Amino acid sequence: MTSNPPNRPLIEVRGLHRYFGKTKAVQDMSFKVFPGEVFGYIGPNGAGKTTSMRILATLDEPTYGNAFVDGFSVVDDPDRVRRRLGFMPDYFGAYQNVNVYEYLDFFARSYGLRGAQRTGAIHYVMDFTQLDKLADKPIDGLSKGMKQRLCLGRTMIHDPAVLILDEPAAGLDPRARIELREMIALLAKNGKAVLISSHILTELAEICDRVGIIEQGKLLAVGSVDEISGRAETISKVQVRVLDGTERLITWLTARDDIADIVQKDRGVAFTHEGGPPKQAELLKQLVQAEFAVVDFASKTKSLEDVFLHVTEGRVQ
Amino acid sequence: MSTADANTTEAERPTQATSNWRNWLEVLEHRVVGLLEWANPILVKETRQALKSKQFLLTFAIVLVACWIVSFAGRAIIGPQIFYIASGQDMLVAYYAILAFPLAVIVPFSAFRSLSAEKEDNTYDLLSITTLSSQQVITGKLGSAILQILIYFSVVSPCIAFTFLLRGVDAVSVALLLGVTLLASIGMSLIGLLAGTMASVRYTQMLLSVGLVLGMAFAFFGAVGVTPELLRESHKMIQDRDFWIGLGGVLTLYLTTFGLLHTAAAAQISFPSENRSTRIRYWMLLQQACFVAWMTVPPLLYPDEPEAVPVLACAAVGIGLIYWYVMGSIMTGEWPHLSRRVQRSLPSSLVGRSLFSWLNPGPASGYVFAVANSGALVALGLITLWANAPFPPFGLSATQISQFMLLGWCYLIIFLGLGRLLVSVLRRVAFVPLAAAFLVHLILMMAAIGVPAVIYSMSSQFRSSGYSLLLATNPFWTLSEVLESGLVSGREMLVYLLPAAAIVTFLLNLRAIGAELSRHRIAAPARVYEEEEELHPHPEPSPTSPWEEDPREPAKV
Repeated sequence: MTSNPPNRPLIEVRGLHRYFGKTKAVQDMSFKVFPGEVFGYIGPNGAGKTTSMRILATLDEPTYGNAFVDGFSVVDDPDRVRRRLGFMPDYFGAYQNVNVYEYLDFFARSYGLRGAQRTGAIHYVMDFTQLDKLADKPIDGLSKGMKQRLCLGRTMIHDPAVLILDEPAAGLDPRARIELREMIALLAKNGKAVLISSHILTELAEICDRVGIIEQGKLLAVGSVDEISGRAETISKVQVRVLDGTERLITWLTARDDIADIVQKDRGVAFTHEGGPPKQAELLKQLVQAEFAVVDFASKTKSLEDVFLHVTEGRVQ
Repeated sequence: MSTADANTTEAERPTQATSNWRNWLEVLEHRVVGLLEWANPILVKETRQALKSKQFLLTFAIVLVACWIVSFAGRAIIGPQIFYIASGQDMLVAYYAILAFPLAVIVPFSAFRSLSAEKEDNTYDLLSITTLSSQQVITGKLGSAILQILIYFSVVSPCIAFTFLLRGVDAVSVALLLGVTLLASIGMSLIGLLAGTMASVRYTQMLLSVGLVLGMAFAFFGAVGVTPELLRESHKMIQDRDFWIGLGGVLTLYLTTFGLLHTAAAAQISFPSENRSTRIRYWMLLQQACFVAWMTVPPLLYPDEPEAVPVLACAAVGIGLIYWYVMGSIMTGEWPHLSRRVQRSLPSSLVGRSLFSWLNPGPASGYVFAVANSGALVALGLITLWANAPFPPFGLSATQISQFMLLGWCYLIIFLGLGRLLVSVLRRVAFVPLAAAFLVHLILMMAAIGVPAVIYSMSSQFRSSGYSLLLATNPFWTLSEVLESGLVSGREMLVYLLPAAAIVTFLLNLRAIGAELSRHRIAAPARVYEEEEELHPHPEPSPTSPWEEDPREPAKV
């Protein structure tokens, strides 16, 4: 496999469209994922996540547009793309009468690994996914979590530069999720580009460097969670506590145009403030200048769920 | 050496021999394992699966038990006469029936299921994103089927050897019977795989399953029913030169059709942007070449029967026209747009473009390909016919046969051309896949035959007058009339009508042909060249003779 210059994205989607008859599953989607980056794909069911992932995995063709893996078109050079790409679908394709080792061995052979290179890759993957003790176990008898590990192992058996993981944490218990998250973080640390979709937004927020919010086939926002929150943040909730003079503070706040919904709480005042972080900083400065003894000033940081709901404008069903 | 030492050495000798034997086995095993590194991954995986699968073990056990039962029961029924009468043939038929069942039904159906089950179990996607090519997938699946066939053979082979000892069958007949069965089973497995590639949705899977089971049952009962007669006649057959010539012809047809179907099955599962057509067209060309070559054999073998040559030429052209009509119906259903991937490999030189453009995918190039090949066949037929014109067979004149060939070709040009135009119009309003395009051709042909036939049957005036020009759209009726009665009593019009219609149809298709012909090769993306350069770097320039300066060394000042 050829080396990848750091400025070249490992995944590049350019104006991707995919129509199924009159249904527009993917519309004008564009984004890039660079080496060592984990890119989260967020969207409700039927938003077009799996369709676009399948196109990237060379399992489907776009109606218009193109997608590139390490600079190779998924439409024109699928064979070159496949050498660089590992795809973990949201289902587990199980073969009958095959054990864990044989399953991995088959895929290693299918990716052209021979001899010591193949056995080395199988042992590395089994060690990485902690499946080494289950080598002889038939895959039909594996638990959901073990199957997901095996599926991840199959995805990375040929050491691809790009990993596309469609709902890898679905159906896993909390412990297995944490372990999966750690594995993905390790893969990214090793320089792989990871495109991951999940319904569990808190999980994505923790491991993703950037996220793309997709709805009805359209990519609505791309960036880090903070960037998107920043862009989305026009009104935020703020809580202020002063040593004394709470009543005076309420009067002072009521006089301002950028403040509303003032509520006196246990030991402070909560309100909504129109404006992003710079205006909040300005507000704090003015409070201090107005000789309030501010002991606590907190604005609630938006979670990925808040951002998602804000960006999708609550259209998600 | 003391006596004790000598004794010890004697005692150790067998152990040492066993150890050597084991070492040799280990070396052999190591070599075999080394070879298996290069075996098709699907073959390796499916062999592992088959050896653990209940279905295979059950069938294997049933075949084994059935062989034992037949052996014991046959021996008991024949009784002491076994020493005096030749009972090998009857026993062979019984064993053959046991062998034929897995070979004609179980293995081909398993091949079909192995591919369709991949789609059901969601493993097909995982398989298709590996670096295995579609040819490797089909070959691996077929290899697994062949392995199963050989295992079933190995079960029955001792029993077949036993029938040879019972007399009544000769080694050549048995070898022929088993050889043909082996090839037939492999061929049927390939058909099963081809069907498996077509079974994309559940209802097509059901339809194909039913069709395959019926076909396989027919093959099984046919084989078992014909075998006793074949074995009785085998003595005469194997001494007949014509039998071996015929077998050679059938074998050629089998091998070329096998290649064609294998390529078609691989094309079915390849990525949409890949070239799915050119390889199939090469196989068609090879089939046509073999067909023409075999047609020259009878005149060479029977120079004293020149009247047979025109009949043979007529039959060959008839078969060839049907073949190219069917193949043309498939080719004209291809998608007209070429992917960028295919465009990268288009012929670029003038000679290449004029000779090989017809092998490029596309409905119009497919149309020209079918028309040109069938035209070549007709031309060869006409040359053969007129070279032997002094020997008109069965009261047929050379003119009649010529008219049959030429009008047959005109029909092919018309029907394929109209079908292609119809598909092209339909594609402007709806998605028309290859199978639907083939159906359009079929409907067009049925309409051309059926509509005049209905009018004809409803009018007593037409019925009493026999063949009329109203039936000109029916190629089968018209061509049989041409052969039987010639173009007499007003039918001469056909000589002008059909070629004119053929020319008009061809001209109507000319625009699409021109469009497909004008496509140019495009360059591969820079990234592809970049990788090629990294994977296969140009060798450093080095001196090619002792007198030449080494370009790698710095220039001397």
